[in-house]
Amino acid sequence: MSKIVAMAAKDIWILFRDKLGFFFTVFFPLMMAIFFGAMFANLSRGPANIPVALVDEDRTAGSERFVTRLEAAGGLELEQLPREQALEQVRRGQTAVMVTLSPGFGAAMDNPFQTTPRVELAVDPTQFAAAGMTRGILLETAGAELQALMADSARIQATNDRNRRLIEQFTPPSAARDDFLTFIELSSRVSTLVEQLGLDGNATNAVTGGFGPPLEIGQTEVQAERRGPTNSYASSFPQAMLWVLIGGSVSFSMSIAIERSRGTLMRLLVSPITTRHLLAAKGLACLTTTLVTSTALITLGITVFRVKPTSYPLLALALLCASICFCGIMMALSVIGKTEQAAAGVGWGLALPFSMLGGGMVPLFLMPEWMQRLGNISPMKWTLMAYEGAIWRGFTLTEMLLPCAVLLTIGVVAFAIGARNLRWHTG
Amino acid sequence: MLLFDHVSKSFGDLRAVDDLSFELEAGEVFGLLGPNGAGKTTAINMAVGLLEPDEGVVRFAGETFDRDPREAENRQALGLAPQSIALYEEMSSADNLRFFGRLHGLKGPDLEERVAACLDFADLTDVRKKSVSKYSGGMKRRLNLAVAIIHDPDLVLLDEPTVGVDPQSRNAIFDRVEQLRDDGKQIVYTTHYMEEAQRLCDRVAIMDRGRLMALDTVRALIEAYGGPGKLAVRTGDKESIHDTTDPLGTLAQLQERETVEHFQYRPPDLETVFLNLTGRALRD
Ligand SMILES: Nc1ncnc2c1ncn2[C@@H]1O[C@H](COP(=O)(O)OP(=O)(O)O)[C@@H](O)[C@H]1O
Ligand SMILES: [Mg+2]
Repeated sequence: MSKIVAMAAKDIWILFRDKLGFFFTVFFPLMMAIFFGAMFANLSRGPANIPVALVDEDRTAGSERFVTRLEAAGGLELEQLPREQALEQVRRGQTAVMVTLSPGFGAAMDNPFQTTPRVELAVDPTQFAAAGMTRGILLETAGAELQALMADSARIQATNDRNRRLIEQFTPPSAARDDFLTFIELSSRVSTLVEQLGLDGNATNAVTGGFGPPLEIGQTEVQAERRGPTNSYASSFPQAMLWVLIGGSVSFSMSIAIERSRGTLMRLLVSPITTRHLLAAKGLACLTTTLVTSTALITLGITVFRVKPTSYPLLALALLCASICFCGIMMALSVIGKTEQAAAGVGWGLALPFSMLGGGMVPLFLMPEWMQRLGNISPMKWTLMAYEGAIWRGFTLTEMLLPCAVLLTIGVVAFAIGARNLRWHTG
Repeated sequence: MLLFDHVSKSFGDLRAVDDLSFELEAGEVFGLLGPNGAGKTTAINMAVGLLEPDEGVVRFAGETFDRDPREAENRQALGLAPQSIALYEEMSSADNLRFFGRLHGLKGPDLEERVAACLDFADLTDVRKKSVSKYSGGMKRRLNLAVAIIHDPDLVLLDEPTVGVDPQSRNAIFDRVEQLRDDGKQIVYTTHYMEEAQRLCDRVAIMDRGRLMALDTVRALIEAYGGPGKLAVRTGDKESIHDTTDPLGTLAQLQERETVEHFQYRPPDLETVFLNLTGRALRD
């Protein structure tokens, strides 16, 4: 066992000394994760508006005035829908946020001194960015509405008169009642003063700001079924982890070819170790490198780039199966390419078309259906399926079994082919 | 220690080793001589278990020669310095030695002791931390040899250990081989340089086209196959060369006729034996 570890440690040490091997196994995937993640992140943010499903259950002049103002504010793509339909859209991931104006919203909007108007958001937890922006636009709109109200002395006088009548009608005379009526009287004087002073919008805001936030926003979470990744890094990191496997397996198959042409493979076979030991060591070295590098990469994705795997145990399973698959492929490659150049040529020559087909370059979910089906012949596709299944597709264990079984089968068959044909000589 | 018993090995139609038999004696340096393509390396590869003979048996160790080099654990007792340098160029000489030491089950202080001894043996102690890729050809050759003996094997097989080195390094390698012999190792030494064999080997086997042409001590081979020596004489302004097995007698005969001013005698050597046995046609 210690001999196997010694051989594996030597292989890993040499790989990391070899700048090209290090580049393809570690640096290139990392670059790719960040590059594609950032690229698609910008594309998806872009100038496009946030799709919002609006449910107006109030249907008063007040609520309609608010909706008109919200539409005019820009930044949101509003679609008025009945409650059930709106919720369905959020669940399907077709719309980012659902905004509900409950009965009474219009009245509260007209009478902000009595109750702060309130809206309800329903969002998918992963749409934190869209929800944040929607909140901002809602607050802004409510502020503008309040400001307009304050500047409209006729409207506020009408509201005050109604409030006074309501209070006098429903409460017996008391000190508290008198205080409250004075407060209402004063607030109507504020608006008169605002009008008389000819204050501009900002000054009005400053004066009326003391009334607290113009809008209360409640939020509930709605779990959306995953159609696409939660953020662009959730799609670029699985791809990058796939490239760790590709880079690692090509580098290791090259290392076997180098050992063959340099004669060290022969030297290994002359020492008192069996071919089985040697194969175990090569497999262990490849597996260790790909597992450690992939784990480091996804850890970075989770901590820095807010990738949130839906299942850590399944991610670990996917990582293990995919690594085994590619270490098997590594063995097979090393017997096809006898020399260093041949191994590199065969390795990259197969890796590029197969990863193109398997979603290693353009994300699978952006590919047309038929292309995704064609990709089934590519181990890269199954790797991405497994990785994405654990990272954003929300696979169950049963769903994970298929890609994992395919990966293990490819890995074991390829390893066996490689192991059977391993030769120490180039002839 | 090492036994070849009617061993043959073919690559396709080519019979690389053809019915080869020999047996090493205790404490000797055994020379395997032959022109390029004679089958020396093929024979060595069968001795270390890299190749399986088509016919015959290769066995080593023990009174009864019962160990097959194809079995991994039996190879603990042998060390091979391959014909082409086989080292991890990215690693230092110390790390190469350490790695192969571990493969042979060495560890801890024992391993470090052997690494130090082998570095000293190869005269590489000063550069032990430099990566091998920076070494000269001679240094690599010496390390190639040192790696073969890291585990202190009883049988050391050296396949053309002096190819491509300068005379100083070659001489250093001769010294090392003699040192190994003095330490009681058995050595198989292949070469096509006859003067190396003549200096180092107790017995030599001369191979050609896979076949064993002759096997004996150097002296016996010269006696049997060396033919006459060459006596060169100058008399006045005339020079002549005479084939003779009795230089003194020939010289006396010549002296009777004229005055010999200068003479030089070259006895037959292994080179003569080699050429007599393998012919003078060029090999690739
Ligand atoms: N693996 C091989 N495949 C095919 N032919 C080989 C192989 N190894 C050696 N040969 C051939 O066998 C013959 C003997 O080679 P070798 O044992 O290397 O000779 P030597 O070491 O004496 O120069 C040569 O003709 C060589 O081309
Ligand atoms: Mg040879």
